[in-house]
Amino acid sequence: MLRRIRTKLNIFTIVSVIAGLLIIIPLLNIFVELRQPASDVWIHIRTYLLARYLRNTFILIFYVALLSSVLGFFSAYIITRFDFKGRKALSWMLILPLAIPSYIMGYVYGDMMSYSGSVSRFFRSIGYYGYINVMTMQGAIIIFSLTLYPYVYMMVRGALLKQSASFSEGAQLLGASKWRVFWRIVLPLARPALVAGTLLVILETLNDYGLVEYFNVQVFSFAIFNAWFSFGDVLSAIRLSAILMLIVFAIVFLERAIRGRRRYHLHTKTRPVKRVPLKGMQKLYPIILWTILFIAFFIPVLQLLWFTRFARYGLFNLNIVYIIINSISIAVFATLITVIIALMLANFNRGRMSSIKKSWLKITNLGYAIPGAVLAIAVNIFFIDLDRLLYPVYQLFNPETGRLVISLTLTMLIFAYVLRFMAIGYNSIEASYDKIGESFTEAAYALKSSKIKTLMKIDFPLIKTGLLSAAIIVFIDVIKELPLTLILRPTNYNTMATIVHEYASDEMLVEASIPALVLILVSSIMIYILTHAKSKRGASNVR
Amino acid sequence: MYVSIEDLCFEYERKKPVLEAVSLTMEEGEVVAILGSSGSGKSTFLRVLSGLEIPRKGAITINQETLCSSKKFVDAEKREVGLVFQDYALFPHMNVYKNIAFGLSHLTKEDRKARVYEMLTLIDMEEKVNAFPHELSGGQQQRIALARALAPKPKILLLDEPFSNLDADLKHKIRKELKEIIQKTQMTSIVVTHDYDDAKAIAHRIIYLEDGKILREERLHN
Repeated sequence: MLRRIRTKLNIFTIVSVIAGLLIIIPLLNIFVELRQPASDVWIHIRTYLLARYLRNTFILIFYVALLSSVLGFFSAYIITRFDFKGRKALSWMLILPLAIPSYIMGYVYGDMMSYSGSVSRFFRSIGYYGYINVMTMQGAIIIFSLTLYPYVYMMVRGALLKQSASFSEGAQLLGASKWRVFWRIVLPLARPALVAGTLLVILETLNDYGLVEYFNVQVFSFAIFNAWFSFGDVLSAIRLSAILMLIVFAIVFLERAIRGRRRYHLHTKTRPVKRVPLKGMQKLYPIILWTILFIAFFIPVLQLLWFTRFARYGLFNLNIVYIIINSISIAVFATLITVIIALMLANFNRGRMSSIKKSWLKITNLGYAIPGAVLAIAVNIFFIDLDRLLYPVYQLFNPETGRLVISLTLTMLIFAYVLRFMAIGYNSIEASYDKIGESFTEAAYALKSSKIKTLMKIDFPLIKTGLLSAAIIVFIDVIKELPLTLILRPTNYNTMATIVHEYASDEMLVEASIPALVLILVSSIMIYILTHAKSKRGASNVR
Repeated sequence: MYVSIEDLCFEYERKKPVLEAVSLTMEEGEVVAILGSSGSGKSTFLRVLSGLEIPRKGAITINQETLCSSKKFVDAEKREVGLVFQDYALFPHMNVYKNIAFGLSHLTKEDRKARVYEMLTLIDMEEKVNAFPHELSGGQQQRIALARALAPKPKILLLDEPFSNLDADLKHKIRKELKEIIQKTQMTSIVVTHDYDDAKAIAHRIIYLEDGKILREERLHN
C-alpha cells in the first residue's frame, strides 16, 4: 500500500489533489451555511420573489440556448459546407463577437435603441416615430445570443470539419435526399458539439450579472447580488446560490442521461466533406452571415468609437491607463497560474485512468460550471475563514493587525479566477496531449528523464500550441470577467470590466467607451492570434 | 449487357487525370474485381459509378438505364447503387436496425421490418439487431455495412477495399462469407482491392487498373 502511494506520489498528483481540495472546500461551504436558520429576508424572497427568479431564469436560458444554437449551427454549417468569396475571413471573424462582453453590448444597444439613441433618431428622420425598447427580457435574449453564439459556432465548426464525408455519402447512396441527410446524419452527428457549445452558452448566461442588472431582468445572478447588496443578507444570497448550483448540475447531468448508449463517432478515416459552390437562394447565406457579424460586432464597435469623440479626457486619462495596466497585468498573472496548474492536472490525467482519478478531475474542473456570483460567495467565505484561522499567525508579525488580511488583497480575486477558468485551460491542454499520445513521454522516462525535465524538454515543445490556446482563452475570459471581480476586488481596485460597468450604471456611456474599446481591442487581437496560431504548420483554425 | 461503362474520364480540379477512357461491360450477376495499387484510381472509379463524383466524359448504363452520359446525370441518391465504404461508414448514432432500415424509408413499417430481418438472417446476425456500431467487431461492422447496402435491392453492389480493415485471420473467413452472400443474392458486384488474393477469391474477372487506365483483364474460374 505504502509502495503504491509512493510510486503515485509526484508533483502532478500533489498539485491535482490540492487543486481539487481548494475547489471542493469553498463549494461545500455553501451547503454547510445552508444549515443556518432562514432569515426574514429569505422568507420574503421565497414567498414573493423566488418563483419569478426561477421563471425568468428558465425563460432566459431556454431562448438564449435556442437562438444561439441556431445562429451558431447555421453559421458553422455554411462555413464548412459551402465555398464562396470571403469565406475564410468570415470563418474566423464570426468568433469576434466573443470579444464583446454581453454587458457592453447591452449598454451600447440599450443606448442606441433608446428614445434619444442613434437608431431611434434615424427612424424619426425617415418618418417613423415609434421606438423599440431593447431593455427587456427579449432584448437580453437577443444580446446574449449575439455575444455567445460563437461558442456554438466554434464547437460545431470543429465537429463538422472532422465529420467524415462517408457518412453523408453513405446516406445519399441509400436514397436519402439532402434534407434527410442533414436532419438524420449531419445534425445528429454534430449533436455532442452542439450540446457542448450550448451548455457553455447557458453557463455564461447564468454567470452574467452586468447585462441582466442593466436591463433589470430578474434572474438568479441578479437575485444573488440583490440579496447580498440590497437586502444585506449574505445567507439569502448563499441559499439562492445553492439553488442555482443545483440547476446547473441538473442541466449538465440531464445531457449525459439523454445521450445514453449512443456514440457520435467511430474510429473511421476522416475524409473531409468537399465544399460546394452556392446555388440559387443559397447565395443569400454570406449576406446573412455578414449581417450577423455587423450586428454582433461592427455596429457596437462603431457606436463606441463614435462615443469616444465626446469623452472628456480620451486615452490620456491617467486613471484609465492605470486601469488598463491593472486589467492586463491581473489577467496575465491569473492566466499564468491557471495554465501552469492546468498543465499539472493534464499530466496527472495521463496514463491509466482510475475511477477516483476521473472523478477528481471532474471536481477540479467544476469551477466553470459555477456562476461567478456563486463562486464569489464561496471564495469569500473561504478566505474569511482562512483569515480567522491565520489571525494568531498575523498577530505574531504585527500585534496591531486587523482580522482580515488575505481577504482584502488581490489574492482572493486571482484565486477565484483560477478556480473558475481552470476547466478552460485544462480542456485545451488535455486535447493537445491526446493528439501527441504518450509514447514520447514514456520514451523520455525510459531514458531516466525526471517528470519535470520531461515536461519541459519533451512535452512542452510538443503541446505549445495547445498551451497558447489555453492561455489566450483564459486571458480573454479573465479580462472580460465582471461578477467575480465586482464582489472580490479590493476596495478602489478597478479593471476595465468594472469601470465600464460603473460608468454605464451611472449612465456615463461616453466615458465608458474608451475602456470598453480597449477591452474589445485586446480580446479581438487575442482571438486573431488564437485563430491564426496554427497556420504556420498548415493546420490553421481558419479553414 | 447488364452494365456498360464507356470511355469514362475523370480528374480532380486542376490535377492530372485520375481516370482515362475507362470502359467495361458486365453480365448480370457477375463479380468483377478492380485490382490496382494505391493512387491507381480504383476508388475514384467506384465514386464516379455511384454518382458521388461527376465524370468529365463518358457514359454509364446499368440494366438499360442511362445513369450518366453527355446529356444526363442521375444523382447519387436516385441511382440505386449500393456502396460498402472502406471504413464501412455505419452511422454511429443509430443501432443496427436503424442503420439497415435507413435506405428503406419508401417501404411500410411492416415491410421495412421484414426486410431488415431478412438481411440480418442473410448475414447471420439477428441477435445484434439492437447493438450500436461501436459495440461490434470489425468483421461484424463489415457484415452490417453489407446488409445495409443490399437492403434496398440495388442494381449493383460496389465494395471499396472490403478487407483492408480486417486482421489476417479474420480476412480469410470474411472473404468466404462475402462470397457466399454475393452468390446467394446473385448481385452484380464490383470489388476494388489492392490484394490479388482477395480479387482471386471473390471475383469472376479481374481488371488491372494503373494510373487510371485499364492495363489488362484476367478471367477466373470462380
